[in-house]
Amino acid sequence: MGSPCELLVDSKSDIEAAALADTVSTEAWRIEDKFSRYLPDNVVSRINNSGGEVVTVDDETANLLDFAATLFEMSNGRFDITSGVLREVWTFDGSDRVPSKSQVEQTLKRVGWDKASWCRPDLQLAPGMQIDLGGIAKEYAVDRAAMLAAAGSGDACLVNFGGDLVATNAPKGSEGWQVGIDALGQDRNIAQKLIRLKNGGLATSGDARRYLLKDGVRYGHILDPTTGWPVIDAPRSITVAADTCTQAGMLATLAMLAGPEAESFLEDQDCKSWCLR
Amino acid sequence: MKRKNSKSVAATLTTATCALLGTTTTTPVNAQEEHAWEFDTALLYYGEGDSRVQDASVNLLAVRNFVDDRVLSLTLGVDSLTGATPIGAVPFDGPQTFTSPSGLRVKTRPANEIPLDDSFLDTRVAFSAGWQQPWGRLSSFNAGVSASKEYDYLHLGANFKLAHDFNKRNTTVSLGLAFSSDELDPVGGAPQALTSMLDVGDLSNRLGSQSKDVLDVVLGVSQIINRNLVVQLNYSYSSADGYLNDPYKIVSLVDPVSGDPVPRVPTPGVDGPSHEYLFEGRPDQRTKHSIYGQAKYYMNGKVLDASYRYMTDDWDVDSHTVDLRYRWPFSGQSYIEPHVRYYTQTHADFYRTSLDSSAPLPAYASADYRLGEFDAITVGVKYGRQLQSGNEWSARVEFYTSSGSVPADLLIGNQAGREIYPDLNAIIAQFSYSFGW
Repeated sequence: MGSPCELLVDSKSDIEAAALADTVSTEAWRIEDKFSRYLPDNVVSRINNSGGEVVTVDDETANLLDFAATLFEMSNGRFDITSGVLREVWTFDGSDRVPSKSQVEQTLKRVGWDKASWCRPDLQLAPGMQIDLGGIAKEYAVDRAAMLAAAGSGDACLVNFGGDLVATNAPKGSEGWQVGIDALGQDRNIAQKLIRLKNGGLATSGDARRYLLKDGVRYGHILDPTTGWPVIDAPRSITVAADTCTQAGMLATLAMLAGPEAESFLEDQDCKSWCLR
Repeated sequence: MKRKNSKSVAATLTTATCALLGTTTTTPVNAQEEHAWEFDTALLYYGEGDSRVQDASVNLLAVRNFVDDRVLSLTLGVDSLTGATPIGAVPFDGPQTFTSPSGLRVKTRPANEIPLDDSFLDTRVAFSAGWQQPWGRLSSFNAGVSASKEYDYLHLGANFKLAHDFNKRNTTVSLGLAFSSDELDPVGGAPQALTSMLDVGDLSNRLGSQSKDVLDVVLGVSQIINRNLVVQLNYSYSSADGYLNDPYKIVSLVDPVSGDPVPRVPTPGVDGPSHEYLFEGRPDQRTKHSIYGQAKYYMNGKVLDASYRYMTDDWDVDSHTVDLRYRWPFSGQSYIEPHVRYYTQTHADFYRTSLDSSAPLPAYASADYRLGEFDAITVGVKYGRQLQSGNEWSARVEFYTSSGSVPADLLIGNQAGREIYPDLNAIIAQFSYSFGW
């Protein structure tokens, strides 16, 4: 998952807690193995190396692709699992290496879910195109792991994969799990906000350490696939609470893509959210 | 993204997520931001029966939680007292006239009634500030100051507390120290102990302002017995020095046979007391020891909180307090909490209903009903409700009743057939609202 993953369990029994940890980690590794674009021989690798051929996918992958297709439509193309190739020209390492307009335009030719042909269970990408399920799979993994944990035990759990998390219940004698949102650019140990999560998902989008700075303009790492350029004036961090981690994560990402309108977008969704600018 | 479409995003997303996860329902999210500031506000009414003391107060508690368990708490309280309170004189079958505390006028009370003083009306403002922070990994440190002011009284205090956890944080020991220095500036001046209530305008036995210092030490142990039971045991020591009299309380001088107040004739042309009364006199030192035990028992969300306190002091007042609360949550957001408290105390060794006019004066004497022997019961109920926003309101109603008994050997003559001890009934009503900011 590219980040520390943890499970907190409020259990009287070491054996039960160990069994839950096993369930959760097995599911996390299964999803990572299956959907990571960094690993060879998985379904994503087959799709990305298909050379324009049709790839037939299994049910679970098809569900994720359906979900991605819905998000693409819903966001008018701004949420796009084929946008990962833009990273070939954009590296957000704090430097001033902003790509040229022509570099971006060239790369943008290989971006666009509408250029792919998805007819469940068959997917055909144009040659040179790639998909990256990283924007969905982590949240999906958190929800899946939490569902399995809740099905296997009545104990209160907090599944936390790199800051995207789900609580299945409050620990005994408390109102909920205490979750801190980091203060950006400050001491990492100081939480800017404390949230008490009893049930549901919490996801954060944004990373203040990933940006480019050129001629006084700060380019945040959220790219708009419709232009190939970073979203201007997006909050530095958005945290959303929703029934599931997947919903929370997608709302946070969509709000980021809304740039200056992030807050009003979230207000319209009637969800609890916290934006840091 | 077009604004007009954005409202439907959440709904579409919910449908898509359910399809992705293969579920039809999800538990609704329950997430609350922990606010930097927590406020507790309360309106309290305390009213004694028979038009005795009425007190209305407004209290505000503000708590600022910092990370790393550092906490700042501030309190502000304003209360307004009116009504009448027994002054200590014995009732008898004739009217009695008293000089007011100011020494400027007289007041006559009817026959066969416990004499009350209804001249007081006071507003009190109280403030306190406290700071708590961890001290090393297993200890914490508390320091605070307090002040309160009413027009004849000023209180200043400081307190410190150290707590240390050990035994895998299942045991906490604590040591608390509090010091207060109070200054009394009674209306008309503080009377000299056991001197006579004088005619109007004669302030010759009044002193200037008086002071009192109190030191409190509390040693505590709290122990987590298991997941459901937490117990606490405290020992407290309290030492008060200085002017400990109630400047507005008096004792009747009575006939050794009849027990009726000894008549007195004011200076001609001047108003004054109709009988002989002495201002009360208490020792200028009081040392109290008390033991307090508390158990909190959790049963599936319900909490039984039981406590007992035993106090003994060198004035010979021994008291026992038993307090029971049972918090009963229902329907997720609400709780109901019945409360019962029983209190009993013995009288101070210098407590007298009156003083024998033929006998030499004792060193100390007070007829203050609060130093007499009495039992009190409080019965009440509290209802609390948490709102969607995480804020909470609660309402509490309690009834208090106390009744005293005067040992037969303290009653003289006719006093045996009269109601000497002022029983008390009171109602307490409180509305509280807590919110974060």
